[in-house]
This record gives sequence, C-alpha cells and structure tokens, in this order.
Amino acid sequence: MTALLEVRGLVKVYPGVTALAGVDLDVEAGEVHCLVGQNGAGKSTLIKCVSGAAVPTSGTIRLLGQPLGAGQPSAALAAGVATMYQELDLVADLSVAANIFLGHERRRGPLLDLRAMRREATALLTRLGHATLDPDARVAELRAADKQLVSMARALSRNVRLLIMDEPSAILDPPEVDALFDVVRRLTADGVGVIYISHRLDEIARIGDRITVLRDGATVASNLPATTSLDPLIQLMVGRSFGEVFPARAAPVGDVVLSVRGLRRHPDLAETSFEVRAGEILGVGGLVGAGRTELLRAIAGLDPVDGGEVRVRDRVLPPGRPDLAVAAGVGMAPEERKSQGLWLDWTQIRNVTISSLASLGRGPFTDAGAEQRAAATHLRSLVVRPDDPRRLASELSGGNQQKVVLARWLLHTSVVLLLDEPTRGVDVGAKADVYRVIAELAGRGLAIVMVSSELAELVGFCDRILVMREGAVVGELHGETATEELVLRHALRTAPQLEAR
Amino acid sequence: MTASPGSRAGAAALRRMRIQEIALPLVVVALAVIGTILKGSIFFSTANLWNVLVQASVAGTVAVGMTFVIATGGIDLAVGSVLAAAAVIGGHYFHGLGSAGFMLGTVLAAVVFGAINGLAVAWLRIVPFVATLATLAAARGIAQQISHQTPVALYDLEALSRIGSLRVLGIPIPAIVFLVVVGLGWVLLNRTRYGRYVIAVGGNREAARIAGIRVRPILFSVYLLVGLCTGIASVLQTGQLASASPVVGLGLELDAIAAVVIGGTSLAGGRCTMLGTLFGVLTFALIFNLLTLMNVESQIQQILRGVIILGAVAVQRRDH
Repeated sequence: MTALLEVRGLVKVYPGVTALAGVDLDVEAGEVHCLVGQNGAGKSTLIKCVSGAAVPTSGTIRLLGQPLGAGQPSAALAAGVATMYQELDLVADLSVAANIFLGHERRRGPLLDLRAMRREATALLTRLGHATLDPDARVAELRAADKQLVSMARALSRNVRLLIMDEPSAILDPPEVDALFDVVRRLTADGVGVIYISHRLDEIARIGDRITVLRDGATVASNLPATTSLDPLIQLMVGRSFGEVFPARAAPVGDVVLSVRGLRRHPDLAETSFEVRAGEILGVGGLVGAGRTELLRAIAGLDPVDGGEVRVRDRVLPPGRPDLAVAAGVGMAPEERKSQGLWLDWTQIRNVTISSLASLGRGPFTDAGAEQRAAATHLRSLVVRPDDPRRLASELSGGNQQKVVLARWLLHTSVVLLLDEPTRGVDVGAKADVYRVIAELAGRGLAIVMVSSELAELVGFCDRILVMREGAVVGELHGETATEELVLRHALRTAPQLEAR
Repeated sequence: MTASPGSRAGAAALRRMRIQEIALPLVVVALAVIGTILKGSIFFSTANLWNVLVQASVAGTVAVGMTFVIATGGIDLAVGSVLAAAAVIGGHYFHGLGSAGFMLGTVLAAVVFGAINGLAVAWLRIVPFVATLATLAAARGIAQQISHQTPVALYDLEALSRIGSLRVLGIPIPAIVFLVVVGLGWVLLNRTRYGRYVIAVGGNREAARIAGIRVRPILFSVYLLVGLCTGIASVLQTGQLASASPVVGLGLELDAIAAVVIGGTSLAGGRCTMLGTLFGVLTFALIFNLLTLMNVESQIQQILRGVIILGAVAVQRRDH
C-alpha cells in the first residue's frame, strides 16, 4: 500500500542557512501524524515545501505515489493538500459561507449561487459536528475556535486528503481543544491524513497516532508511537535532558510595590483588587477571554477604566495614560510580541532604548554611543543570542525577542513588570531560559505579574496565582498548595465555593 | 546557521540599505552627466545649477515636512492650498507690517492650517487622507475669498521681493533656505528623541503606546511641522513672484509626496530617509530642468513625471 504522503531526503537551503538537511516523513491516510521539534527545527519550512509555498533544493515529495509539483500552492491544493496556518487566512469581513468557498465559489451562470453555498456550508459544518454555526455570520465576529472550524470546513470543501494543522490549539481554551480534537477525529474517520504541529506535547498522546521528531532541519526519529512518554521525546527535541525547567527561587519578602484597588472596566473586568510585593511573581490564570489581558492593559493605562485605583509604590497612576504608567515604572511585555512589543525592523539597541532616550542623550538629542553601551549591558545580562546588539529584532527567535522587551524595562529601571504569556511562541529549550530571566528580574526586586495559559508554568514558577473567570478573580492559590487541577477547576467554574475575597 | 555572525550582520546591514539610497544619487549624477553632454555650456553653468535648486526650493521645503508626516503613516494633501492661503492671508492682513511682518504672518497662517489638520488626525481620529483633503478644498476657497480671486501685489515689500534675486556668497536665498531646512530636518529626524518617536509611532503605534510614547502629540506635531515648512515655502514663492496669488501651489502636494516616496520613505510609515527626500527633489528638478533646456513641452514633462513616479515606486516594491 502506498503512503498518503511520502517525503524523502528533503533539503532546503536558503542563502546562508540550511533550513532542511534531509527530512523523511510518512503520513498514512486516516492518521494524525504529529510533527514536533523546537522553533527553528524546520517544521515551518517542511510545511511550506509540502504545501507548495517553497521550492525544495532537493528531495522528493509524493502524494499517493505521485510527485507533488514543487513551488505551486495551487497544484498542491488541487491534489488535496490543505494547510491551516496559525494566522488563519480568512477574510474577516466576509461571511462564513463566503470564506469556505473563497476561490471556488459556487455559481449559477455568471452570478454567485449564495443559496447553494449556504446549504453546502451548513452540510460541511455538520460533518464537522458544528451544525449550529451560522453560515451567514461575519467571520470577524466569530470566536477563535469557530474561525478554525471555518478554516477546516474550507479545507473539506476542497476534498482535502492531507490537512496540515500548524499549532491549532495555541489560541484555544481546554474545552475548545477538546472540540477541535473531536473535529480532527471526524476528519480522520473519513480517511483524511492530518499533520499536526503543536508545542503542547501533552496533546500528542490524546490526538496523535504517530510522531516524527525534527531537530536542526533533519528527522531524528520517525514513526514513534504517540504513546511515547514526554521525557524521551523532549530529549530527542532538544538533544539533552529536560531536567530542571523552573529555576529555584527564594521566597519574596519585599514591600508592596503594586497595589490594585477595585479596578473595573465594563464588560471585560469586574472589580479587581490585589497587591504584589517586590520580588514576587504573581501568576494570573484562566481561560482565553477571562479578562487577564484586559487586567494587564488596564493597569498599564492602555485602556480606559470605569473605576478603581492603581498604585505603584506611593504613586496613584492616572487611568488611560500609558506614558505616565511607564514613567512610574510599569513595564509591559504584551502577548502579541511582534505586533505590539517590538519594532521588528529596528536593531535590538533601538528596541531596548526607546523608553529611556531622555536619560541617554543630551537635551533633545539622542546619543548613539550611549544607546549602544546601555543596551548592550542589559542585553548581555539577559544573555540574548546572537550576542550582536545591532542585529534586527526580526532576526531573533521568540525567546530572544522576549528578552529584548525585558531588557527595555530593565534599562528603564521599571519596578513592576506585566508579562502577558511570556513564553508563548517560545520553544521548549528556550522556555527555561525565559524563566531564568524572569526569576532573575524578580531577584532584583521587581514585582512581576504574569498572565499564562500554561498550567505547569503557573503552578511550577509563580509564588501566588490569581485565577480569573468572566472578568473576575475567582480564586487565589499559593505556591505550595497550588496544583494544575485546582487552577483549571477555578477557571472552569467547577471549584467548590472559595472564601470570599 | 553556518555563516559567521560577523558576515551575517554585514549581510543584514546590506539588506537594510535602501536601494534608493544608492540608486538615487547615481540617477542624479547620471542626469548631470547627460545634461552636460547634451547641453554642456548651458546646463553645466553655475547659474543654471543654482537655478535648479531655486526651482526645487518650494516643493523641496514642503517635502521635508512631508517626510515627517509620511513617516507616521499619514499624508498631507493640503499643502498646495495652504501655501496659497497663507500667502494671501499674509499679503492681505500683514502687508502693512513690512516684509518681516508679512513673513511672520504667512508662516503663522500655514502653521494654523497645520494645527487644524493635526487636531483632526490626532484627536478627532479622521483618516489623514480625508482630513487633509477637506483642508485642501477649504484652504483654496479661503485664498480665493480673501483675495477676491486677484493676486495681492507685494512689490513694495522690498526685502521680500529680493528673495528671488539676492545672493549670499553667490548662492540664491531660496537655495540656501531649502538646504538649511533639509539639514535641520535631517538632524531632527535622525539625531533627536523627537525624530525617533516619529518613526516609532509610524512603525508600530501600539508598541509606541506600550513603550510610553504619547502618540497623539506626535501625530499632531508632524502636521504642525509640515505647516511650518509650507509657510516657509509660501514666503519663498511669494518672494519670487513679488505677489501673493490665490492660484499658486496647484499640484504642489503631488510634487512633494512624489519626491518623498521616490526617495524611499514608505507610505505605510516607519521607514523614512531625509537624504532620500533630498535626492528625490533633486532628481525631479534636474529632469525638468533638462527637459526645459531641450524645449520639451510642459505637458510631455507632466506625462514623464507620472512615468518616473510609477517606475521608482515599482523598484521600491521589489526591494521589500
């Protein structure tokens, strides 16, 4: 029997970089094949080659025994290869049905056959187990999970044989992930082969059949059973033992630095109060949409609030004034690092010094030498790689980009750090490095508020955890007694009633 | 991952170099060479070369301010109308105060128009294209209303009317003013905190807010700045004509924007170069000087202008 997809000896050389150095991959019809590896291991390049978005330097890609036309996305699509990228390629202002049939609209004569598309869209969504999704709804108004569904329905509408899913669970809550897996199983039951990429290794055993591990652009293990336990898997990925991920830290003992009193913003944030001490890492857990990002943005003055008070040391921050929050020592590392945290076409230096220019120049003038020295000091202290402050931010990995943002606030001598999903998009090996940096910052006496969707991170790393649900803090857990299960129970409303806060 | 860090950084620096920064100076030199070959004695005379700069001075001065506006991702379509309105306001209301009074009044009027645009963009959040389109229409109307559609003669303002003819160290005043404005613009954009904030806001507005930059005052200020430049250009223009006409500055916005864009500044904001703007201005000025020397009709020049803009922007696109 021929495999659905057979990749042999795939090599892709970009100028100066060998992205793929001989990759083999076999995917059978009806299986979920998990593709794992660190960032930069070659997963994205492999996907681009298979989907026709990139032309391989050498090697073969066969679908059902037939060579796949290289570098032609339309040919790959016609052969039945569909790709769901992280950034879903949907048109926000069009309806669900219009998106599903984008590029192959049903027509009657020269006119669009809206009725047929609506009907077929509903049929496709029903096949995916989501008959209730309205085919006339505008995609912009859908939740992330529903958008993915539209993306999958679109793949189905094209008679997909091989569906490539790039980190589909990254933007989903646990219940939504369950629903996603249900949809994936329906697809595989229909004989569709799925290549599933995820940084959440615990998902593999739940959804996968087999695993292929990439490292440094080559296949280091293929066709492992999905039941392979995490430790050997991580070892294969990083080429070393995982061991201690979270650095050991002393308990915080400092004074209260950040104090939030009755902060509220309709409808995202119910009255919220808490304090954070110098040297403390406060975790904020909860599902996507529980109001965690809104809480951080309200503290930072980025969004207007309806009431409440934010105090940094003895200073009350005027609401809606991010510049004054920064001046008072509040630094924010947003979740959307690339679109909100950095200027990707700037050097590391400029990204670090942007908030401290007044103290680095004379009068209204900037001082390139002083900028360079100040930035380099802090970039080195956080061990940013590559060690070249003139390198553009776009050329850094996710973890190192995060460190550049942190270096900015270190240089600014911030006293409060608001971190929104600081390890999102950071690969396994580099996560430990980000934890080390955050722990070090706490060690220097910064008060840290850290929003995270990774339960292990909250429980293993934070001193204290607030759990939010529907815009309100519904639970507070302390370091030693916190468990992943407890956090999830609060987040999902299955926890026993807590003491009134 | 195989190349050494040094060579990769070098390659990065090379990639960062905008193609226009190398190409445009070459174009300017090539135009000068062509001009010398074709019309040697007339073209390559000091008189003609200064003449090129004088002719470029009005649009060029505006282009400096325009570079800041476009760096924030905005645009100012009103500069031509504002140039005329400022001249007429100066000529009508500040005429009696002498040359200095006229200049001050004209510049002030242009800055007020800039402030109106800035308020509309920064605080009323009107798209720059629309806000300045409205000002384009209104300012031209104001110029015609105040002047009753007739130019205000300014021959009696002696200092003003000598702007076109007076030379310092052999250099015509408009050329000096243009080059000084370019120099100051370069310093402001590349060597001050303010310039960095302008580029920061243009490159990534939300990141700028999060970094603690006050976005609205920055947006407001660039329209003020282009107003200031337009006011100076208005003085240069009226000085050369010795009258304040309500119909000057027609199409000025296109000249200024075209020079900025072929210079390599991105209309999307965040990427800008003052030297590019200078060379953009010089390229257009040299081309039209040459064509005029060769007796090419002005409508043909106009067509060529369109072709040049299209070609230059096409090259810029490939650079991305």
